[in-house]
Amino acid sequence: MSLEEQKQVPENWEPTILAFCCNWCTYAGADLAGLNRMKYPENVRILRVPCSSRVNPQFILRAFQKGVDGVLVAGCHPGDCHYVSGNYFTRRRFLLMQRFLEYNGIDPRRFQARWISGAEAGKFRDTMLQLCEEIKELGPNRKLREVK
Amino acid sequence: MSQMQEELRQKAKELLEKGEVRYIIGWGKGRFHHRPPIFIYQAEDVDKLVWDEYCVANLGKYLLDDKFPEGKIGICVRGCDSRAVVRLVQDKQVKREDVCLIGLPCTGKVDQEGRELVKCRDCMHRNPPVYDIVLGEPVEEKGNPDRFKRVEELEKLSSDEKYEYWSNVFDKCIRCYACRNVCPACNCRECFVDQYRVGWQGKQKNCMQNQIFGLTRAYHIADRCIECGECERVCPVGLPLMELNRKLIKDLNSLFGPYEAGVNPDVKPPLGEYRLEDPEEYM
Repeated sequence: MSLEEQKQVPENWEPTILAFCCNWCTYAGADLAGLNRMKYPENVRILRVPCSSRVNPQFILRAFQKGVDGVLVAGCHPGDCHYVSGNYFTRRRFLLMQRFLEYNGIDPRRFQARWISGAEAGKFRDTMLQLCEEIKELGPNRKLREVK
Repeated sequence: MSQMQEELRQKAKELLEKGEVRYIIGWGKGRFHHRPPIFIYQAEDVDKLVWDEYCVANLGKYLLDDKFPEGKIGICVRGCDSRAVVRLVQDKQVKREDVCLIGLPCTGKVDQEGRELVKCRDCMHRNPPVYDIVLGEPVEEKGNPDRFKRVEELEKLSSDEKYEYWSNVFDKCIRCYACRNVCPACNCRECFVDQYRVGWQGKQKNCMQNQIFGLTRAYHIADRCIECGECERVCPVGLPLMELNRKLIKDLNSLFGPYEAGVNPDVKPPLGEYRLEDPEEYM
């Protein structure tokens, strides 16, 4: 399949977005968004992880390989980590990872990271809306993908 | 060269006779211009040691075959070998007191046809940064002003062009894992590609799987790569693997400050630590 053919968007296509959410902040934020009956796109699949630094860069490659269109890693704000320093490592790791993916031809918008605290339900919803919109604009991801 | 070789044999003999080291890892004479690694246990065998422009292999990795030695290991180190040993010591794979580094300033090596190796052309440290004994005179460092030139060229491409470039590269990969086997930074007890039950690496032989392997390996050694260029040298299909590693090194330098793996044993690799004032893009 050529790149041009790959770019064609099937009808009724909806993106699949995987969000790695830290148990202590972002997952609580998502919970609060739910309690407040906030609406965010159902394209987002939340995966709870103990800490944002639990997310191995291999998970992201794996997600793209298995057909996810966008990945978000979300954790506590720097300084608020439940494990004191986890998110500082996350920050270093994914600043590098994002550039590395870009170097390999994957749009940096497809892999993002955000800090969302347990009280920021609104920010959680806004992030998800924005991410979903961006991915919709980009179309389905065919890069690094196992199944075409 | 031959004078250095003589000095090296002398020194090796001395070390072995005094019992300071149990054995010495160096280069030996193989067929034609091959210089395979050899392990010298007896003082009378030191004449098998060779030091000339064909000694290309990085010896650092051979320390991993003897992680709990019964005595000190003597190892011949050029700049790249020395950095490899420092990395292994930092990763706690080898104890510094278990090795005796015989430093050999190096002026670059050549391949079988006598052409200068790419890895030596790009070399940044011809003199071993860390050693116990050094032979000969230190040589002049030539530096490498074009170190990131190729990376910058690739960065300018559009994302589809980049993807196509790397797809074409990894399409050729036969996943022999020679790059991993030779890499002194690859020292996991069990490599992710060998963890069949976990299934990180699919068994299919296709471009996607090759890419997953290449990317993951490059990222695993992001802050450990000592730029010895062995991966490229051993690659049977000649993939430009250092272009991936150099990109990571370039970004590490620009994001978290200058860092060269394996040069200073006291400097920790940047992904293993953090600073509060690191760049912030995720607010």
